[in-house]
Amino acid sequence: MKVIRSFRWLSLASVLSCLSAAVHADTPVSLATPLGLPPLVIPASNPLTQEKIDLGRRLFMDRRLSHNNTQSCGMCHVPEQGFTSHELGSAVGIEGRSHRRNSPTIFNVGYQHSLFVDGREPHLEDQIWGPLLTRNEMDMPAIGYVVEKVRQLPEYKGMFEAAFNGPVTAERLGQALASYERTLISGNSRFDRWYFGGEKNALNAMEQRGFQVFMGKGRCVTCHSMGEKSALFTDHKFHNTGLGWERTMFPERTSYRVQLAPNVFVNVNAQHLKSFEPPMPDVGRYEITFNPKDSWAYKTPMLRNVELTSPYMHDGSLQTLEEVVDFYDKGGIDNPEKSPLIVRLNLTPDEKTALVAFLKSLTGDNVPALVRDARTAPENLPLLDVDPSDTFMNQVNARLP
Amino acid sequence: MLKSNNHFSLKALVAAVSATVALGVVALPTLSHADETACSPFTPLIKGQEDLVYVWTLGVEGVGDGSDKLVTVDVRPGSKTFGKVINSLSVGGRGEAHHMGFSDDRRYMWAGALDSNKMFVFDIGTDPSKPKLINTITDIVEKTGYVGPHTFYALPGRMMIQALSNTKDHGGVTGIAIYSNDGKYISKHDMPTTQLGGAGVTGDGYGYDLGINPQKNVLLTSSFTGWNNYMMDFGKMVKDPDAMKHFGNTMAIWNLKTMEPMKVFDVPGAPLEIRWSLKKGDNWAVTATALTSKLYVIKQDNKGEWQSYDVGTIGNPADIPLPVDISITADGKGLWANTMLEGMTRFYDFSNPMKPKEVYSKKIGSQVNMVSQSWDGKRVYFTTSLLANWDKKGKDDEQFLKMYKWNGKKLTHVFTIDFYKEKLGRAHHMKFQALNLNTLQPLAATQSQDLEKLSLALTGPKEK
Repeated sequence: MKVIRSFRWLSLASVLSCLSAAVHADTPVSLATPLGLPPLVIPASNPLTQEKIDLGRRLFMDRRLSHNNTQSCGMCHVPEQGFTSHELGSAVGIEGRSHRRNSPTIFNVGYQHSLFVDGREPHLEDQIWGPLLTRNEMDMPAIGYVVEKVRQLPEYKGMFEAAFNGPVTAERLGQALASYERTLISGNSRFDRWYFGGEKNALNAMEQRGFQVFMGKGRCVTCHSMGEKSALFTDHKFHNTGLGWERTMFPERTSYRVQLAPNVFVNVNAQHLKSFEPPMPDVGRYEITFNPKDSWAYKTPMLRNVELTSPYMHDGSLQTLEEVVDFYDKGGIDNPEKSPLIVRLNLTPDEKTALVAFLKSLTGDNVPALVRDARTAPENLPLLDVDPSDTFMNQVNARLP
Repeated sequence: MLKSNNHFSLKALVAAVSATVALGVVALPTLSHADETACSPFTPLIKGQEDLVYVWTLGVEGVGDGSDKLVTVDVRPGSKTFGKVINSLSVGGRGEAHHMGFSDDRRYMWAGALDSNKMFVFDIGTDPSKPKLINTITDIVEKTGYVGPHTFYALPGRMMIQALSNTKDHGGVTGIAIYSNDGKYISKHDMPTTQLGGAGVTGDGYGYDLGINPQKNVLLTSSFTGWNNYMMDFGKMVKDPDAMKHFGNTMAIWNLKTMEPMKVFDVPGAPLEIRWSLKKGDNWAVTATALTSKLYVIKQDNKGEWQSYDVGTIGNPADIPLPVDISITADGKGLWANTMLEGMTRFYDFSNPMKPKEVYSKKIGSQVNMVSQSWDGKRVYFTTSLLANWDKKGKDDEQFLKMYKWNGKKLTHVFTIDFYKEKLGRAHHMKFQALNLNTLQPLAATQSQDLEKLSLALTGPKEK
């Protein structure tokens, strides 16, 4: 409870104290809307309660939700690293298996109209089964295995009963995790206070010039949309910038500039790397719709907290905001399905600098609180001595006559 | 089995350190080492012919049972099974099997898994030819928040374990855990993250190997990278600029008794294995940097201050030859250094550690990682696997144990065991064992007259 109170924009409808973990309670939570964001729509089928949020937070940070107990949601969406990972371009899953894409930040994920950069999942409550079951992410063998494992973990004893008035189920796992993730709202940035709040000095002159570039010559707002009263900085659509096309059609280079140590770089001939894994093809939104027009199209990311969420683009191939601005200034990479919205911009160096300064003004005022809140959940808990499927079978067998 | 009386064990550590200091280098021949380079000075040694080679082997999906396993190879000259696998003990699952270390009496061997974070304790004393798994320790993550138990280094009654990563972000910030011989957690010690020792170098908090010089009462540590990188495909990692920013660039020297870091050195490019020269009068250790392909020596200057020195280059750094394991000769005058991507081994004349000279090189295979030599240096063993996802793919993914004879001028091949043909997996760390443990060289420093005067922080235990 004290964590929730620390969020200035959160209010509780009621507070219950001395609540037994095994006693069902629906302590409703109403998320106050921070400046700059629209009201968050909570599905009627999964109303927010404190019990579900607390349960979801614990599940989010629990490494035992992976098959070999090494990967939690929070290992790729690291709270201190903008709920993404600064250390990896594209993610690495269980046993080090390669992933094609960067871990997207989950700040403000409750506002997303679709999940994953290809938009394949419509519902936040169902999204968890992607990473949980995917072989190169958490690699759980089956839905029932996940449910049974959580049921057997003693730290969850009574928590589902308290939150849902019933035992753990696949649906309730999704509801709990979605409930926690919806609390990761972050707004009331300096930009919000300037633009929506009328605080004239909240942005300096350079940041204001950057906003003009964003809205005008830079054409950023064409996809990173804004409303009159709020701004998510996304159109929720999918666009081909050329980056994915180039990565898939021309994946290999003749050499790579590689950092060996601070300020020590070498150009490594690609021949020296031929014995290792080749780049993985990725056709973007097309893989969902099979519509050739969607080839190499990826979802427009929100820009809130963008200074905290490097590296950038769907594959994490650009390390800095300056590189991102340069990429769009050049009009992306030409290819047959490139979005007509992506054109050469011819920005001046000052305009680029101002644009980056503006982007860095989009950082919400509650990020440290969200990080502290996430870390209230333990990530290191004792492992089960016996595989959960063996325990389940033993229990079934014991009940047989 | 194992000593469970911590108080006794700590006294033994105090005794060992203080007696070693008191006796000086005169008592040190038992602490010098060949293959035993990687062993703790508190572990008894094989100074004659080794009988067995244990190979800690990574399971490979689709190869045999796919499980990590401890493989035992007979290397007794004249044996009917010379150069053959005589035992294979699967531990279940693939957890990124990596390194091993003997207990202080060499009756037990600990082996770690960098991904599953399991630590397996094998009884190698009852019947050394048939190791038996007697304990699987699974609580290092829960107790310390560290990930990737890497180096196992015996203290009297205890095991010191250098980890590689952490559970917060799978990055490289980590620490050292200490367990009792019976597998109970005792304490944790974070790697330094501040400026120490006046060199103006800030610790990066990373860890890799550790080595003790008991005469000097110092512990030396090196630094590698976190789970994110060591579990990633090597080619993918090299092409990822963000990943390449996250390697260790420091070493640290600690006061062993207090477990307090004293000084941090700038050793850029992932310094890995640490080998102390314990030859009479020597006061230096050597390491190789994986990324920058350098040899560094950590040595006391004439004022007694520990300093780091760049003393040479291994191969062409622009090709990232990837220096990995090294092995120092018993007299401290020679060093084997393997380069993983080249599949090469090089022998350096280390008569002058400040100016080592490459005097021999040989291609061992498409890739090579570990090198272990016998006490007399006449037998040299090589294995191939570095990390499951750093090993080469396809036809270049050779996995073997090879034995050579070394006459001081060239290596002569004796046998090869193909670990894929034998359906075993990836051959990684090697340790020698004798069938008759009575032949082991006893610990040098076991006597002390003045235990209580020594203040040893570990007796606390002091947890940071």
